[in-house]
Amino acid sequence: MPQSKKGPLNYRCPSCFSREIDMDMFYDEAKKEYYCLRCCYHGTEEEVLKANALVKAKYGLLDRRVDDIGLDDQPLHTHPYKKGEL
Amino acid sequence: MSDTFILNLVDRPEMAPEYAQKTTQSGQKDDIADDALIRESLAIFLFQQKAAHDRGLKTTIEMTYASLFNDEVVAAAKHDREVYGDEIALTLLGLPCREFYAKYKTKDFCIWMFSEKDKKRIVDDVFTLFHKKFGFYPKSTGSYYLDAFTINYIKAKYPSVVAAVATCWEEGVKAYHTTNDSWYTFLDGGPWAPWIPSKANSAVPASSIEDDCGLVGIPHLSRDLIACYDGNGSNFGTHPQNVLRGMVYKDNEIPYFYNLVDMYRHQAKYNNGYAYNMMFVGPGWLNKAGRWEAPYALLKKAYEDGLDYYAKLKKEGRLVDMTMSEFAAFYRKSHPSYMTPEVALWKDVLYGFQKEYFWYCDPFLRTCLDFNQGGAMIDLRPYAAKLAIPVGIGTGNAYDATYPYIIEANYRAGYFTHYAGQGTIKSCRVKRKEEIVDLCLERTMATFSKEGDDAVVTTDPFEVKLADTTLTMQSAFRFEKGKGIVEVTRRILANSASVPVTLEEYLVGCYGREEYSLDMTGIRLEVIGAKTKRLSYAYKGRALEEDKASAKATIPPIDTVVALTGEGLLARVEEGIAFSPMFTLSVEKTLTKGELTSCLSLKKAR
Repeated sequence: MPQSKKGPLNYRCPSCFSREIDMDMFYDEAKKEYYCLRCCYHGTEEEVLKANALVKAKYGLLDRRVDDIGLDDQPLHTHPYKKGEL
Repeated sequence: MSDTFILNLVDRPEMAPEYAQKTTQSGQKDDIADDALIRESLAIFLFQQKAAHDRGLKTTIEMTYASLFNDEVVAAAKHDREVYGDEIALTLLGLPCREFYAKYKTKDFCIWMFSEKDKKRIVDDVFTLFHKKFGFYPKSTGSYYLDAFTINYIKAKYPSVVAAVATCWEEGVKAYHTTNDSWYTFLDGGPWAPWIPSKANSAVPASSIEDDCGLVGIPHLSRDLIACYDGNGSNFGTHPQNVLRGMVYKDNEIPYFYNLVDMYRHQAKYNNGYAYNMMFVGPGWLNKAGRWEAPYALLKKAYEDGLDYYAKLKKEGRLVDMTMSEFAAFYRKSHPSYMTPEVALWKDVLYGFQKEYFWYCDPFLRTCLDFNQGGAMIDLRPYAAKLAIPVGIGTGNAYDATYPYIIEANYRAGYFTHYAGQGTIKSCRVKRKEEIVDLCLERTMATFSKEGDDAVVTTDPFEVKLADTTLTMQSAFRFEKGKGIVEVTRRILANSASVPVTLEEYLVGCYGREEYSLDMTGIRLEVIGAKTKRLSYAYKGRALEEDKASAKATIPPIDTVVALTGEGLLARVEEGIAFSPMFTLSVEKTLTKGELTSCLSLKKAR
């Protein structure tokens, strides 16, 4: 079996990323999967992309735009971000 | 003064950018002189410059050592200065190149990590080459971090320099862990916004003209003051590709970047109408191979989106773009007193959590209050000690430029601990009979005000429920300008059963740079009243108390005295144990209504 290498895009391990470690994954051509050297994560590209989408769930304002920071002791006002809006 | 939001947009032509090869390719020899790499690096720099100019933004071009050997870059820089008013400056980043390796026989590339002899040699080499290429010495310089030795040497030898990128806020343990424990930039504990560095320690704001290093320090990026403190600092700053690194985008859009910029703009409200941003994207972040999950097209789009927002603000008259040296002149003029603090009342713009931090920085202390924990102090750096901390090969401290803490609630537990002991934090406990309620569990928000010269932050009222009474309370924090004193008032606004309660203001501290405990032996704990009682720290869990007294810790390794004082209070000190290597200072008072006022003070021990 030949050595592993990096894939066309340089995916990080979603499991390590969720604990704030940027860990590049390597690609196993024979098994058609990405795998992590640090933890036991392994998965196809599709699985990696799904896991990455889950990681982003912690960003509650990921797709919201602040329209008013508000008074010091009041919450922010936001609205759904519209594509291309600055 | 009307609000002024200033942008320093900095580009650096780096001929062998970090990450360009190793991160994006594998199975290839590390060839720093590779022509294709140099061509791509040059193209990225030219793209960045054009992207700025097309949007009407001027830049500071921080020439790297490697780029000074490239005639095309030198010519481009001269052209852009002439045509667009860009400043040609000189960074001490980007040293790696064939010529550097041949001359210095090392792959080190962080200027603060070299020996003092090599720092001088490299600075002279780079500045001399710059002069040879441009016919003048630069006004601005920088690196991720510049230590006091290097700054003082540069200013003495090249007095034209007035500004320097001199720290990257809270880049330290978190960056190290994020990089699989391989990135040795330990710079925690410095300012998040521009400052005038002390001659003794560049992280500390200068306290006087004698202490002034002669440069205005600029942070490398403007970083999220909640997200970068709580989590990975490398993802949340005014660097669109860092935002991609954090996967803070959806459908290739980065509204978080704009929200972050707006939160910085908002800080003008608390800083005499002045707010600041710095954007500095190294070319390694824009290479054609993409970066992690982000293909080149997204890297480029995000970069342009970031500039588009700044350009929009400029067009609307809400942003002034300056070069670094222009900014240094502005800063000097707008900050005539060394004692003017930098403050930030910061709301979470990332997680959608109603969390609010108040940051404060002056020549005596840097600190942070967390209003999600009732205004608990979660970070405390004793700048009053103005510690000289030599860094670099040969100093016995090759890489660690962290300014030490007394409190760091994320590295050293804070309120919540497992099993036994306490973590570092400053808060207040409300005690009645067998009940204890810590104000760390009071979620609130706060309002900023100026009272005379002092900055004051006051929480919204909150409830403390006890078995036989309910208190309505409020906390106020007064930062006394130029004194290194934080006065804290805990007010009982209402007490439903009018029964006596005890308020205990406490500080759990230690000293450290990273996550692990250092030797606490010999720290002196004292209660000082009619009698003075003291103990020398020996991990025995002993306690001392004295009525009508103050509580004090003298911490020799960081040359600092930290004290809690107040009128007629019962003072207590307690040493920790090996499993919980902290100390506690507290002052308390029993009352039915009214308030407990105490002062936290920091002084240099010797």
